[in-house]
Amino acid sequence: MKRFAVILKTEMLLFLRDFFGFFFTLVFPVMMLLLFGGIYGNEPVYDGADMGMMDISVPAYSVMIMGVTGLMALPLTLSGYKEKKIYKRFDATPVGKKSIITAQVFVNLIMTLIGISILLIVGMLVYHIQIKGDIFGVFTGILFSAAAMFSMGFLFTAVGRDLKSTSVLCYPFYFVMMFLSGATMPDMLFPDTIKKISDLLPMTYAVDLMQGIFSGDSLSLHGKELIILGSLTAVFTVTGTFLYKNKDWT
Amino acid sequence: MSQEIVQVKNLNLAYKNLHAVQNVSFSVKSGEIVAVIGQNGSGKTSSVECIEGLRKPSGGSVSVFGKDPWTCRSEVYKEMGIQLQEAEYPSKIRVEELCRLFASFYERPADWNLLLTQMGLDEKRKRPICKLSGGEKQRLSIILSLMGRPKLLVLDELTTGLDPEVRQNMWVSFENIRKGGTAIIMVSHYLDEVEALADRILYLEKGKQLFFGTQKEFREYVKNRVPQESFSENVSLEKLYLMIAPKTTGLTMEGIL
Repeated sequence: MKRFAVILKTEMLLFLRDFFGFFFTLVFPVMMLLLFGGIYGNEPVYDGADMGMMDISVPAYSVMIMGVTGLMALPLTLSGYKEKKIYKRFDATPVGKKSIITAQVFVNLIMTLIGISILLIVGMLVYHIQIKGDIFGVFTGILFSAAAMFSMGFLFTAVGRDLKSTSVLCYPFYFVMMFLSGATMPDMLFPDTIKKISDLLPMTYAVDLMQGIFSGDSLSLHGKELIILGSLTAVFTVTGTFLYKNKDWT
Repeated sequence: MSQEIVQVKNLNLAYKNLHAVQNVSFSVKSGEIVAVIGQNGSGKTSSVECIEGLRKPSGGSVSVFGKDPWTCRSEVYKEMGIQLQEAEYPSKIRVEELCRLFASFYERPADWNLLLTQMGLDEKRKRPICKLSGGEKQRLSIILSLMGRPKLLVLDELTTGLDPEVRQNMWVSFENIRKGGTAIIMVSHYLDEVEALADRILYLEKGKQLFFGTQKEFREYVKNRVPQESFSENVSLEKLYLMIAPKTTGLTMEGIL
């Protein structure tokens, strides 16, 4: 346990030293919140609506954070470690690469939660955002959404032969999903054609789930999202694990 | 009497269509230094990676401390230190953080602060790995291989990238480590190093074992394979090796001009 704590602390430091991970997980979402909050304020999304623009933006930006850690930071770190034979070096010690990979998943999960917490605190302090959902629902929403994003990133690493090919998978998927899922801009603004594409993206279901739960919906109202995200997690994880086992780590 | 801690019997390793290691057999006793020599691509690294448990042999058997290193890797690594030929560390990690991390892997880690001082890296402890020179990285890599106070040390090209003075210091260091009872398997292209340190030599060519024995036996081996007039008794190990090593041609001006 003490050994894992040292690995976790070291990986945490490395995450914070990486500009991309640090900025896009902890800083950029808050910048987005302040920028769009400055433009729209937390006015009702439509006349008579009880949720404001920032009330629905915060859960969407939370999914954006999960996308950064799950689809970019984690897979690119895993792939980079493999390509530089860093895992091979750790494999030649009593702890092996599994402890390092597990620590990296934990670090990204912790940073996701910290990023979401900062976003919520800033949202509450500056725009008085409302979180109508209960804590269990919010955590379940975060868990299902993060699991889908992380498992997708894991699959990309397992499919990609090296850092370059993993990046080729991660970057387009991340940016397409970030802009077309409703994570950065409300999907109510999308024309029908874009909405059809949006319906094919896993992140769309994470955004719908998080926005619904934050606005006070019970989990039972979001069975479709939970089933889709849960199924994708299972498929991505099983396929990724199978491909990983057959990878040449030397 | 020294105990055999590594036993390799009829080791075979194939990568798809390439038979990288063919029927290699040798052993290593505690407190002994065994050097693995041969041209590039002769199967040296592949052979030691089977001993390290990083590659699964296609045939034959490898036993380290009486265990199969492929299936009992984490057990074997408690007593085996490894320096890989090509492996990196996270570029932004600092020297002391990496040492602390590796120290946490072992129940009774070495005094890495002392090792940093002895290796001349004390002033670089706050420096990220990416800012170290090639030789400094190599010295750090050697420290990390010693972190678990190993009874077996596997060093793949240990002094590549080190300047002559540091190389000489390394030889003294490894001689001292050997005196403490640690066995060392070293892969090296520097035959002066092999001559200064090795008790026994394993000579591989194209994946095949051509020789395994003491330096004296290696001289006899060479003597029996070269014309009598071209053999001389009092030559260095490097010259001996060059007498039997496969010949390669250098560049000619014809190809350049």
